[in-house]
Amino acid sequence: MRAATRRLLDRAFTAVSLLAVAALAAALLLLLGPIVTRGAGAFVFRGTVEHRRLLREQFGRGDPQAVARDVAAAAAARRPVYELLARFQAELDAADAATRRKYRAPLRELQEALHTLFGAPPAEGQALLLRNRYGATRWDQAQAALRGVLYTEEWDYSDPTRLGAKRLAPRAEQFRGTTLEPLFSLLEREARAMLRPRWTCYARFLTDRSLDAHFFGGIGPEALGTLYLAVGAMLFAVPFGLIAAIYLAEFAGEGRLVGLLRMCISTLAGVPSIVFGLFGLAFFIHTLRVSSSKSVLAGALTLAVMILPTVIRAAEEALRAVPPTYKEAALSLGASRWHTVLSVVLPAALPGVLTGIVISLGRAAGETAPIIFTAAVSMGPALKPWETLSQPTPALSWNIYNLTTEHEAVERIRHVQFGMIFTLVALVLLLNAAALWLRARVSRKLRG
Amino acid sequence: MGWLRNNAEPLFEASARPRPALVLSGRAAWGRRLAALAGRALLGGVASVSLLAVLFIFVFVGRDAWPFFRSRGVVEFLTSVRWYPVADPPEFGCLPMFMGTALVTLGAMAVAVPVGLAAAVGLSDILPFGARQALKPVVEILAAIPSVAYGFFALVVLAPALQRNGGRCLAAAWWAVAAPLLLLGAVVLSDVLSGWLPSARARAAARWTLGLGLAAAALWGVARVGAALAAVQLPSGTNALNVSFVLGLMALPTVVSVSEDALQAVGRELREGSYALGATRAETLCRAVIPAASSGLGAAVILGMMRAIGETMVVWMASGNAAQIPRPWYNILQPVRTLTATIAGDMGEADHVTGSDRYHVLFAMGLSLLAIAFLCNAASEAVVRRQRRRLRGA
Repeated sequence: MRAATRRLLDRAFTAVSLLAVAALAAALLLLLGPIVTRGAGAFVFRGTVEHRRLLREQFGRGDPQAVARDVAAAAAARRPVYELLARFQAELDAADAATRRKYRAPLRELQEALHTLFGAPPAEGQALLLRNRYGATRWDQAQAALRGVLYTEEWDYSDPTRLGAKRLAPRAEQFRGTTLEPLFSLLEREARAMLRPRWTCYARFLTDRSLDAHFFGGIGPEALGTLYLAVGAMLFAVPFGLIAAIYLAEFAGEGRLVGLLRMCISTLAGVPSIVFGLFGLAFFIHTLRVSSSKSVLAGALTLAVMILPTVIRAAEEALRAVPPTYKEAALSLGASRWHTVLSVVLPAALPGVLTGIVISLGRAAGETAPIIFTAAVSMGPALKPWETLSQPTPALSWNIYNLTTEHEAVERIRHVQFGMIFTLVALVLLLNAAALWLRARVSRKLRG
Repeated sequence: MGWLRNNAEPLFEASARPRPALVLSGRAAWGRRLAALAGRALLGGVASVSLLAVLFIFVFVGRDAWPFFRSRGVVEFLTSVRWYPVADPPEFGCLPMFMGTALVTLGAMAVAVPVGLAAAVGLSDILPFGARQALKPVVEILAAIPSVAYGFFALVVLAPALQRNGGRCLAAAWWAVAAPLLLLGAVVLSDVLSGWLPSARARAAARWTLGLGLAAAALWGVARVGAALAAVQLPSGTNALNVSFVLGLMALPTVVSVSEDALQAVGRELREGSYALGATRAETLCRAVIPAASSGLGAAVILGMMRAIGETMVVWMASGNAAQIPRPWYNILQPVRTLTATIAGDMGEADHVTGSDRYHVLFAMGLSLLAIAFLCNAASEAVVRRQRRRLRGA
């Protein structure tokens, strides 16, 4: 082979490697980009008057007079819409049967679309379900709902070789020549006045309870449930893991039993997470009966078994990283082996051990599969600490799944899903950042 | 990055650290010695909780799987393609799930192994130390992101994009990967093929004509395949392709960190020896370093595979969950269903019928997963042990 070709191959090899590294970073951006940008939108967004009315009526927050003025202004802007509707209805009642039949279905559709946008019309009185009482609380949702009012969706199947294509047709066409025709241009023109969007920071999203199955409100019970599960898991896993790590790093030799133990730890680390869920169900709930059915306790125990190897490994690594000179100095001063471990090695390794614990905490918070059968429910109140012994809880990870796949209005609560995933990822990343910071401190300290 | 690894002890130790031995003086009280011994036994006892946990997992998952195998046998479970757990009489053929798991794992490995190995080489041998330190957190964050976030991404972001532009995405990926590689291949091939010609002028002429011809042929082939791919329409974005890609992303950090450790463990002497013989960096890595680290790289692949096999949320959310074998079996554009997703999805319905075959079959699947994970783990340990022995011998 010529030297030039060899050089070319070498360059190509370098380029491929660097591109692969760049691909790693790109993958991270691709993943985190939508989660961060749209997730932040659950906290900071343009809230409409409906949002402020909801907060006032359901949570008692906001200045009552200001909200009342706000609502009155919006209602005044909306009045022409309802007047037009009422006039059209009256005309329809007076018209012949054929006209009535022609406009019945389009009118009902229009009213439903308006309902999503503005909430219950003033004539109708209080709706039973909250989702019917309030209109679009967010401006992005309001714009989507407005599109739903202004346009109808049609599917075009004319080309049999392609999938059906969506087409938007102006709804005004259906009402051309009637009293309702000006309604659409009015809506398009005056939507802002009718909804009064304003930049809002809804920080209480994190702690508020959800209203009407997450149509409104926050993710408080889920966040608390995740906290309970993760901290509970650490309560069980840290003592056992730390002791096991001390044993492995300081006392165990290289015997066959220790080899078996190490093999078990790596096996445990490789068990698929869903199998932990099955195990938790069969062992903690059906055999030990720690609770009559799903509970936070059972979930925390299951998670603890799952993260045990991570804790052991991290703690052992931290203990082994303590320079042997520390130990030798202590031993030469006449300290016993126990004394040395407890008062010299362990304190020196503590930041490293903490790093491992913090990372495991993040892992326990993020896991879903082990808690499906042991702890998680889709709906539930925030638990008091003592209720965790017997009650199941909603949790961020489980509810993300639940809300994206099983909720009745998946598209309408996208912002809640993104808010939840943002919260969970931010929690895990913050914990990891804390771990990185701790590790940097450790290496500085051990270097001297 | 040690916490990413699947092995309790450091994978590759340069040299064993001498263990300081403490000799108790003869006058040391027997009581103290006894207490120390008892304490050690206690520590050992607590440490063996993980041993107990592994034992219990096998026992309790096996105990609930046993009634299924006793009443229905193994043959239907492993060979039938008919999964109708609620029909009367029910049928529990799990072959589609085994195939689904295998398919998405293969797909994930097709993404994670090339990219992961290349990135590991880049991190260990090409990038300067500072850049490596800056990029390590990227790998750690990829590993730390919860699996449900990957699943959410697959379902909410990737699936609609694939449904809208599936063919164009496939074609773009194909162009990006195939065109440079094939062009490079054409250059190298023309050089090698023209090497036997006697005169320098003839060699150059042959090289240019061959090279241009091969390159044109390669580009033509790439364009043909690309056009075919661009015409592909996906009826749904939740399919094996989507899941394979995302599982590949999830397996990447494991593959990268373990293989980087393996490459680092090879040591400088081998690299310097190779450079001294006049090899380029690519040749050094491909002919000397990577073969020496092959067992560690194998372990990396196995560990990455385990992550893909055992993953639940991504496949449950984005694989389409159709209990069927794609036709033909490698067609990753069709929805599939995996073992993990079936366990997660069916337990809700099966839970209130605890004791039925429908409940126990899920434990049978869990036991199969456990067995697969155990075998993979044993394989990776054996591979690592071999590597360590070989490095010590070298």
